[in-house]
Amino acid sequence: MQHRPRIQKGVSRAATVRFVIDGIELDAPAGESLAAALMAAGIGTIRHGPMDGQPRSVFCLIGLCQECLVEIDGMQIEACRVNVSAGMQVNRLRPMDPIKP
Amino acid sequence: MSQAFDIAVVGGGILGCATALRLAEGGMNAIVIEKSDLGQGASGVNAGTLSLQIKRVKLMPYALRGWAKWQAMGAAIGFHQTGGISLAFNQREADLLQERMTMKAEAGAPITLISGRDARAREPGLSDRVVAASWCPQDGHANSSLTGQYYRHQLRDARIAIREHCPVTKIDQTDRGFVLHGYGETIHARRLLLACGGWLKGVAALLGVDLPVRARVNTVSVTERGPRIMNTVVGHATGLLTMKQKTNGTVLIGGGWQGRGSPMNGRGLVDRDTLIPNLCLAQYAVPEIARLRVLRSWTGFEAHVPDFNPLAGALPGTKNAFVLGCVRGGYTIGPYISELMGDLILGRDPEMPLFDPSRPFDIETATRRIL
Repeated sequence: MQHRPRIQKGVSRAATVRFVIDGIELDAPAGESLAAALMAAGIGTIRHGPMDGQPRSVFCLIGLCQECLVEIDGMQIEACRVNVSAGMQVNRLRPMDPIKP
Repeated sequence: MSQAFDIAVVGGGILGCATALRLAEGGMNAIVIEKSDLGQGASGVNAGTLSLQIKRVKLMPYALRGWAKWQAMGAAIGFHQTGGISLAFNQREADLLQERMTMKAEAGAPITLISGRDARAREPGLSDRVVAASWCPQDGHANSSLTGQYYRHQLRDARIAIREHCPVTKIDQTDRGFVLHGYGETIHARRLLLACGGWLKGVAALLGVDLPVRARVNTVSVTERGPRIMNTVVGHATGLLTMKQKTNGTVLIGGGWQGRGSPMNGRGLVDRDTLIPNLCLAQYAVPEIARLRVLRSWTGFEAHVPDFNPLAGALPGTKNAFVLGCVRGGYTIGPYISELMGDLILGRDPEMPLFDPSRPFDIETATRRIL
């Protein structure tokens, strides 16, 4: 996935803050949707499908599809439902294991 | 004056739509009037369980025939026959299970009692606390959210008129039948069928009829998608759990736990104090479900009368008016009992007995044990 620069003309944004995903430091305007910030940073794969284990990315952006599910401070939440804040620690989920027979 | 229909059906759920289809087959010109969209009440928000194990003994013959209707509808309504297991976690529940399932098996459901070990062999995700279980290979589920679109196509193919977003607010009786008023519409019909579920009491009151209908507020929850943790419909001896994993990996959890609210006051509300035990019971039965987050919980209104038998017959004291509702297990039974109701209205002999709405509802029937 290509790095997607933000539209600049006619858009005002809050000051940039730094957050961390899987140990990678990223910058984004405070208050931007985390899903948007990850797309802007070129992070394509957000999680893996629980049934087929295939890579998944931001899809619906309205909190329904679960494809941008991440973990923040120990809680699972859709990246499209949380805003970037300074020092936020984001972890991508490990693919779900199948159940023991 | 606008066109007069042979019959106006108030309520666009399974019962109203399926009866209208039967009436149209019999040559009647029917109209279905729905206050919101077709199939969006209990018909569209229930957990979609097609389980014979949770049907009342008295209604089992109807449930078996209704099940066959769903099977015939097939992929259009997401039919899946997975088999179902009802669980007992202690001796008291095992005794209850044995008593109930023996009666249901005698009523024609292919239910057998199995050991906890056999239950786990069929469903490896089950808790090892299961001491006894019952198994019904016919149990399964369908996707209730497809009810509306399924019947919409059926009604259109049968050229049955549909009025949606048309709550009926006034009904006049004339020597030619009925005049229904609602949302800028005036609809004339020679006959009337009330099939509006939790809203039956309010609509019957427009005709001065007091039906002893109350509404349960059943709660359903759905989880996020997960790896396959179960294959069957899992229930509990008390009937307080239904759980199945859909092909997309989500798990639907029901069991009739009560939310709050009433049909006349709009949508029901999920009650945390009943939702949590519902989810705890699900997790007690299939521990792996703890890995899945609940995404959404909601409620639907299930109408009933004091004896928990259906209302299916003439509306008391009102010529040419009929009522169909309060069918416990109405999702499974609905498509079949609607055909019987259609036959009654068409003047045919229904192949199975219906349930006279004029029967007495006294304290004795209200307190009679419900199985």
